[in-house]
Amino acid sequence: MKEISTNVLIGKNNFAKRITLPSIIILVLTVVGPLGFLLYASFFDWSLAVPIPPRFAWFLNFGLVFKDARFWNAFKNTSVLMITGIIAQSILGLIIAFLLNRKFRFKKLAITILALPIMVTPVVLGFNWRIIFHEHYGPLNYIIRLLGGAGSSWIADPKLALFSIFLVDTWQWTPFVTLILLAGLQSIPHQIYEATDVDGATGWQTFWRITLPLLRPMFVLVILFRIIWIFKIFDPVYILTGGGPGITTETLSLYTYISWVKYWKVGYTSALALVQLVIMTIIATIFVRKVMQRRRA
Amino acid sequence: MGMNDKKLKEFRQRERRKKLNHWFQNLLLTFFVLLFGFPIYWIFIGAFKEGGEFFSYPPIFWVSHFKFDNFIRALSLGGSKGTLDSLIVACIGTVLVVILALFAGYGLGRFKFGGPNLSFFVLSLLFAPPIIAVLPLFFIFKYLRIIDTYLALIWSYLLINLPFAIWLIKGFIEDLPEEIESAALVDGYSRFGAFRKVTFPLIIPGVVVSALFVFVFAWNEFLFALMFTRSNVRTLPIVLSELIGGHGIQWGELSALSLIAIIPGVILVVFFQKYLVRGLTFGAVKG
Amino acid sequence: MRKVYLFILVTSLLLVFSCSMLVQGQTKFNDVTITAFCDAGHNALPFEWYADEFAKAGIKVNVVTAPFANIYEKLKSEFIAGTGAYDLIVLFPMYLGEFAGMGYLKPLDEYAEKYDPRLDDIAEGFLKLYDYYGGKLYTLPYDGDVLSLYFRKDLFNDETEKSNFKKMYNKELASPETWDEVLDVAEFFTRKSGETLAGKVLDSDFYGFAFLAQRGGFAYAWWLAEFASRGGKYFDQDMNPMINAEEGVIALQRLIDLLPYCPPDVLAYGYDELTNALILGRTAMCLQWPCNWKKGNDPTVSKIVGNLGVTHVPGVMKDGKLVYRAPMPCGRTLAVAKDSKNPEAAYYVAKLLSDDFSLADVSTPQTGLDPFRKSHFSNPGAFSGFAPEKEASEYLAAIDNNLTYGFPDLSLPGTAQYIDVLEVYLGKAYTKELSPKEALDATAKEWNSITDSLGKANQIKIYNELLVGWKEVGLID
Repeated sequence: MKEISTNVLIGKNNFAKRITLPSIIILVLTVVGPLGFLLYASFFDWSLAVPIPPRFAWFLNFGLVFKDARFWNAFKNTSVLMITGIIAQSILGLIIAFLLNRKFRFKKLAITILALPIMVTPVVLGFNWRIIFHEHYGPLNYIIRLLGGAGSSWIADPKLALFSIFLVDTWQWTPFVTLILLAGLQSIPHQIYEATDVDGATGWQTFWRITLPLLRPMFVLVILFRIIWIFKIFDPVYILTGGGPGITTETLSLYTYISWVKYWKVGYTSALALVQLVIMTIIATIFVRKVMQRRRA
Repeated sequence: MGMNDKKLKEFRQRERRKKLNHWFQNLLLTFFVLLFGFPIYWIFIGAFKEGGEFFSYPPIFWVSHFKFDNFIRALSLGGSKGTLDSLIVACIGTVLVVILALFAGYGLGRFKFGGPNLSFFVLSLLFAPPIIAVLPLFFIFKYLRIIDTYLALIWSYLLINLPFAIWLIKGFIEDLPEEIESAALVDGYSRFGAFRKVTFPLIIPGVVVSALFVFVFAWNEFLFALMFTRSNVRTLPIVLSELIGGHGIQWGELSALSLIAIIPGVILVVFFQKYLVRGLTFGAVKG
Repeated sequence: MRKVYLFILVTSLLLVFSCSMLVQGQTKFNDVTITAFCDAGHNALPFEWYADEFAKAGIKVNVVTAPFANIYEKLKSEFIAGTGAYDLIVLFPMYLGEFAGMGYLKPLDEYAEKYDPRLDDIAEGFLKLYDYYGGKLYTLPYDGDVLSLYFRKDLFNDETEKSNFKKMYNKELASPETWDEVLDVAEFFTRKSGETLAGKVLDSDFYGFAFLAQRGGFAYAWWLAEFASRGGKYFDQDMNPMINAEEGVIALQRLIDLLPYCPPDVLAYGYDELTNALILGRTAMCLQWPCNWKKGNDPTVSKIVGNLGVTHVPGVMKDGKLVYRAPMPCGRTLAVAKDSKNPEAAYYVAKLLSDDFSLADVSTPQTGLDPFRKSHFSNPGAFSGFAPEKEASEYLAAIDNNLTYGFPDLSLPGTAQYIDVLEVYLGKAYTKELSPKEALDATAKEWNSITDSLGKANQIKIYNELLVGWKEVGLID
């Protein structure tokens, strides 16, 4: 069927090269520097806080990372945020996506308002939620008390601080999950539902057996983005709690930041960064395989 | 009563239940919209509050006077330059990223250029937290003497956003069957022509979504802007965090400027909504 | 005749020429541009206000600002990369040891001889602890931060409260002199909504005390207050940590004992929340920076105008005498970068700001700058924009007193690391995850490994340079 001459085939490769290469070159160039630096620095005992020259130290830094209680604490906090975030945002996002997947007035308005949390500058988020969470002057406690509850100290309570971060994070990203799931829902052709209706399936059955499996790739995406984001989230945590009380809300990115530009432990932080990259690449590989599987199926 | 009457009664019952459902669902949705909109509303009313009104008990839930002092002050305290610089960086950055990603995504998606390894390399870049690149990039930029220039920011944002945009567009292109382009080629179009006339229109949702994300990211990015700029370039997030001073926070101006900062996002969402939702399938669902 | 005219013409020309030379000679610098770095907000305003004055001296000042929370990394990254971007720098004294020790700053002694900044007018504590390093002058003061005890005069003067206190504690009600008294007074004044306070019924809970506990906001200084008063030091001369000595444990336990008498969210209190707690009328006392007084007397944000008392920090009784040391967290000083191309001009601007214009700067509500010169303290009239002269005198006397018995921030390479670790463990003690002794022991252990990783010999050397100044103000014998 394909009456394409060899000339065109050769042209194909050239063309591919010509259009792809510029981006790749830019990426590689920009990445090579920092990545190379990280790889290099992680093998040195090197702190820029003092005029001591870097000392070659083999795998000392990597060992230090794994022995560092604060690293594990940050890892734990980040993982907790990741998993609870995935669960909460998926469920909430799915509910709202279903609610949006109908015809009704003001649909555009609803979607616009729901998309706003994603747009807010993270620095502003931090400060805004600080007032909202304020024990005395904050609207949240005020409303809770109006409804008969007791209110709490949120970011000041070591038991609730991480939960407060979880709330802010969920508030910001559930809309994103909602929109992805909505896109998924909208791309399910109507014929499938009509077919199940004819077969006499109930709402629940349709949901579990048909809709959810069809949405699987979207959930994979949600989880993927969640993971990417949770390792990057920084501003709101920094401003809301600064990692405290104690280190109950110190996430990996916050710890990396502190270690990097407050402590200037260049060697150690490079190792810390590389460890994180490895963890995430492993997760990435798993998910790429999963998506690939889905595609081929 | 005949069969028809019974059917009619069942029909009416079902219709009523549907209406109730619909009404209940609307209520639930309104609840969620209010829930997610409240913090934004809080910023909104904050923009019109003054001094002591931020710490009043009970909290003030509405705007008592529509005075625009906070906005004027915020703009004069660097807000106007912040908006301008953010616009420059975000717009140029977005255009650059989208164009580059379009081509690279096409190359990777359609021609499998570089094989799975290159794709994986691009994907893994998505995962890297930007903070780790800050110090090395600082030295590189200092050597190139581009600290405190638009170039430094646009370039570093390229680094972070290009992988995402490439991956997104690649996904869309992989979903398109090769045949349509082959058909165009047979019809006598060049490779590029085929891309322009046939492929591109079909992946517009993906392009829109990536443009939106890249723009919002560049608009809100703080860390790189903090480290790579001084006074010639000052983006909005920097101006916003400078309102958080060591001796007090200027809540009113902060709220006002935050509102101004949300406007581009709102405009984009309103105008590109239909593309947005479709584009968020990320090419993962066969349409 | 023509010769006469020629002669007159030449002479007058010469006269005009030499006059203009004279006038030009008045500007000290020849159209020099320097770049100044300052934390954003009110404290950068003086650079704009005096642009004309600087221009008269032939200097143009470009101001670069950065968010308050990120000053350290901005400065450090520029210094490390050797960009030479800044000439004049406003920095926090806690960075002095690191920046001067690493050679980023230029010693100012020679310039101080040329353009006298009246060093003897500067409060001695501030001068010796924050401006000198290793015997050389490196900075000029810009903002004199020191903690003081603030309290509600109206509550302490109320007759009912006074008699109730006497009944319960068998003592007169007065602003606490010692930390033991702080605990008693705080307990006394903590009331629930519905109870009476000074004759009025409370519509929300009221607390006796409040302090700053949030990590990263100089929270360690509130622990430092009793620790230093009891004679505690950060390290001994061989860089062995001394924070986990008995003084430290008592000080930490004290704050934990005070927690029930503080607002329930005090563990998240930063600067803003702490100020609001007092001036919006929710606590009876707090320990805070000097600008608290300015805000407390501002009717647009304060509910307690006219009722704000300020005095020395609480201390401890030692051999029958009251001993106290006031922490001096934050503060701002002006330094000149070593690789500045116009160090003399930069110094000159610093001198103008630190000396000539300083009274105006510290006595205006438009900045957050606080007094640090004897000529400030003896000038209550300048502060009358805030409060009547009598109250201003009280305020200035308290600040002066606290500065005289001031205790400095730790100012070594790696300060950020030492302090962050300390605050993490203080937080763990506040949340009862660890006992005070465990927390401070753990801190000391980590401080040791930090010192080792930064090079113990170098740290000892730099620390002992700092101790020179400490000795001069009588902090150590």
